[in-house]
Amino acid sequence: MRGADGALLEVRDLKVEFRTRDGVAHAVNGVSYEVDAGETLAVLGESGSGKSVTAQAVMGILDTPPGKVTGGRILFQGRDLLTLKEEERRRIRGAGMAMIFQDALSALNPVISVGDQLGEMFVVHRGMSKKDARGKAVELMERVRIPAAAQRVRDYPHQFSGGMRQRIMIAMALALEPALIIADEPTTALDVTVQAQVMDLLAELQREYHMGLILITHDLGVVADVADRIAVMYAGKIVESAPVRDIYKAPAHPYTRGLLDSIPRLDQKGHQLYAIKGLPPNLMHIPPGCSFHPRCPMARDVCRTDEPPLYEVSGTRGSACHFWRECLDDLDDLDG
Amino acid sequence: MTSTTSTAEPILEVTGLVKHYPLTRGILFKKQIGAVKAVDGVDFTLARGETLGIVGESGCGKSTVAKLLCNLERPTAGSIRFKGEDITKLSGKALKAVRRNIQMVFQDPYTSLNPRMTVGDIIGEPYDIHPEAAPKGDRRRRVQELLDVVGLDPEYVNRYPHQFSGGQRQRIGIARGLALRPEVIVADEPVSALDVSVQAQVINLMDRLQSEFDLSYVFIAHDLSIVRHISDRVGVMYLGRIVEIGRDAEIYDHPTHPYTQALLSAVPVPDPEAREQRERIILSGDVPSPTNIPSGCRFRTRCWKAQERCVREVPALAVPAVFRDTSGPAAHASACHFAEEKQVVPAEDS
Amino acid sequence: MPDQQYEPERAIAGTGMGGAMDLGASEAATLERTPGGPEGTGPAGKPRSLWSDAWRDLRRNPVFLVSAVVILFLVFISVWPSAIASGSPLKCDLAKAQDGPGPGAPFGYDGQGCNVYTRTVYGARTSVTVGVLATLGVGVLGSVLGALAGYFGGVWDSILSRITDIFFAIPVVLGGLVLLSVVTSNTVWPVIGFMVLLGWPQIGRISRGSVITAKQNDYVQAARALGASDSRILLRHIAPNAVAPVIVVATIALGTYIALEATLSYLGVGLKPPSVSWGIDISAASPYIRNAPHALLWPSGALALTVLAFIMLGDAVRDALDPKLR
Repeated sequence: MRGADGALLEVRDLKVEFRTRDGVAHAVNGVSYEVDAGETLAVLGESGSGKSVTAQAVMGILDTPPGKVTGGRILFQGRDLLTLKEEERRRIRGAGMAMIFQDALSALNPVISVGDQLGEMFVVHRGMSKKDARGKAVELMERVRIPAAAQRVRDYPHQFSGGMRQRIMIAMALALEPALIIADEPTTALDVTVQAQVMDLLAELQREYHMGLILITHDLGVVADVADRIAVMYAGKIVESAPVRDIYKAPAHPYTRGLLDSIPRLDQKGHQLYAIKGLPPNLMHIPPGCSFHPRCPMARDVCRTDEPPLYEVSGTRGSACHFWRECLDDLDDLDG
Repeated sequence: MTSTTSTAEPILEVTGLVKHYPLTRGILFKKQIGAVKAVDGVDFTLARGETLGIVGESGCGKSTVAKLLCNLERPTAGSIRFKGEDITKLSGKALKAVRRNIQMVFQDPYTSLNPRMTVGDIIGEPYDIHPEAAPKGDRRRRVQELLDVVGLDPEYVNRYPHQFSGGQRQRIGIARGLALRPEVIVADEPVSALDVSVQAQVINLMDRLQSEFDLSYVFIAHDLSIVRHISDRVGVMYLGRIVEIGRDAEIYDHPTHPYTQALLSAVPVPDPEAREQRERIILSGDVPSPTNIPSGCRFRTRCWKAQERCVREVPALAVPAVFRDTSGPAAHASACHFAEEKQVVPAEDS
Repeated sequence: MPDQQYEPERAIAGTGMGGAMDLGASEAATLERTPGGPEGTGPAGKPRSLWSDAWRDLRRNPVFLVSAVVILFLVFISVWPSAIASGSPLKCDLAKAQDGPGPGAPFGYDGQGCNVYTRTVYGARTSVTVGVLATLGVGVLGSVLGALAGYFGGVWDSILSRITDIFFAIPVVLGGLVLLSVVTSNTVWPVIGFMVLLGWPQIGRISRGSVITAKQNDYVQAARALGASDSRILLRHIAPNAVAPVIVVATIALGTYIALEATLSYLGVGLKPPSVSWGIDISAASPYIRNAPHALLWPSGALALTVLAFIMLGDAVRDALDPKLR
């Protein structure tokens, strides 16, 4: 694995549980990743994989209770966020790291004009006057290319289209020029043509500000378009982590491989889709050993008993599969 | 996938389909002040055993088309002929009879099953409504058979929907749709609410059932990759109209309408190697409101090729003049005055 | 082509109609883990329905059993009060006014020297009749009208909404004073009629709202696409999903009606002596609360117990009708 010195964000062995009426759901079970400035890390997973919960824990916006961080460290610019006081964490939110949500309509307050919502960031964090903050809001709206920003600054969220609202969300996240942006399914609710506009904007702004970006998504297409590295999550763990090109060329975990084979391709047609059998596990009863073994076509006895660590596949990639070598080798059979 | 040419006898023939929802003002004396033109002149045919995919972005009217096909809404104008008979004018017994033949699969597996009915009651309800479809004593066996067909344990008849996952619920919805042995199934975004790994399971199931039960599908979705996978022919909708329609390879590999080209170019392809080579057409602005549709070509406000003619003249959905005498894949119906071929999806590597 | 090992496992169960089953068995097997009641895991024996499942559930619910016992007891003493109380509730002896418990009078005597125990037992008939019948009337009229307005919408909905607006504007007590003062009959019927007249818009509005919510679900569209009639959609699909808030509000309203009967009696427009009701007794005892608290305590306690029993019953029924809670 690559060295983690000086990473912008470093998550180490993070564990999160949810205590519910029916039992304890193990949402995140020892997740480690790091993000550098200017880098895009895609966290890929299906619903219930723990990808959003990890991000919420990093941001410090986990619903507590029922959620609780039960272990691990979150180092942001060298400081462990989990040991900070809530007051200090709040100062980091917005100024140090910011989040973009999937549903911009519900993430924006419907009864406050977008200009005031954008300006509030400057009033609260920078102590600006309302008038100066309004000017800043217009500037930000121009930066995310909202047409006629000066006139629209007084409009309310519902008066904007879905794509424009997501731009406002991005503007809000960028307001204080944070070092890290976490985008949780930022384009899932948008149409493809708008999705492309928004992703392009986000990538461009990231380059401009040299920010770290964590992109949480289930869409393998979006990941291929923008990510530098990928962490694939399953049942609260990272099962594979690699540079983006490697993973699409030769996945080293059967789950990643199943996902790649199960999506229909725009440029190809024909054979039946591969379908990963079964369902993702219930987080209250995660299977012992490798949590993917009940759905895995390669599972053997050892997978039922021994939990695989994240094996080092090469200097830059890791796979949590006992048989990652076979997984890589099999690919030749598939192509041949 | 069964392949049928569009020359075969159509099972469904849609002509000039229009659905406008009036916008009114006033409490007591309602005055119409406009209309939401959700569907504004749609024509297509569906051959027996064929899958017609309809793609488009939200608000293009594709879900309204689904509702109209299933007679859940009455069209403002136009006709839907099922085996030659116009079903939009039917009512009472005749309507009930035709419903047996056209069934729907819904998008949201969480709201499409009544949470207070057992799975057995849900799948068996079609037989309660159409008692002639199955003798009473035979119904339970048929319900269990249907569960088996869609890949669920027949023992589950006494369970309630909330005990199943999204993918399993979608299978229950499909079983209900199959109960009356319909000839046409209209599926409105049947997999968009499901996880990636479960989507493939449901698509494969629909594929298999098509050949097993000799079904014709109208498959409505926003995901262009899934539509290509399952469809024999594809229609692209924009603002209430089909702007381009043809066989899947014609649309995906040889699109001639600028909207189709932009749509296809915007789809992220799961291949990082392709990301530098691809040319993306980024459309400017948003889709106009369906209450206020632009004159002439409805796409002209976002089109980079728009000219004076596009403002004045509505382009017809037909094979464009430039391709009329060719027999290549570009010679398919496209509603554009300036249609030209442009490859936007990277060529297959095989 | 994918190699064999990488193919999804072929299921064993695919015998029903032939054809390869792709993932059925494996996905089905996972269901075993999904949480569900012990009833859910049994084999497919007898076909079951919401109502039979709800009844099974109720029979095992202690809350339901306790409230059912209390309500049955109340019904019993309403029909046959002399079974547990001897003497007449109207036989009063001023000499014993405000006395504490004595022989034959375990609850003591009220301000008029009447036996509080006897009067509480005999009062159940009026109070329970008023409460139950008024609630039934309000519930049936309100939920039917509300459901029809919500389901069919349009003009009828507008008319109904305006009517409920008008009714909401009438102050209940003032309306009672005006309407009931012209009535001469000293029975429970005018009082019940008045409560139904003024009470149904409340349930009507709730019923309309929850029907509109339920109507928007895709399963209603699915039933329509199958050719289901309006009555089938309303009864099978909408009613079971819209009834919960109506039950909750109606059971709470039941207590209000018993109390309202008391208020009206106190104001002299409801039942008048020699009628016996908890309401009359509560209002008669309130002036003496310092000297004879027991005269107030017992009828109030009976009222509270009755209301509680019905609320618990309503809760239990609502929960039983929700398969998610099983």
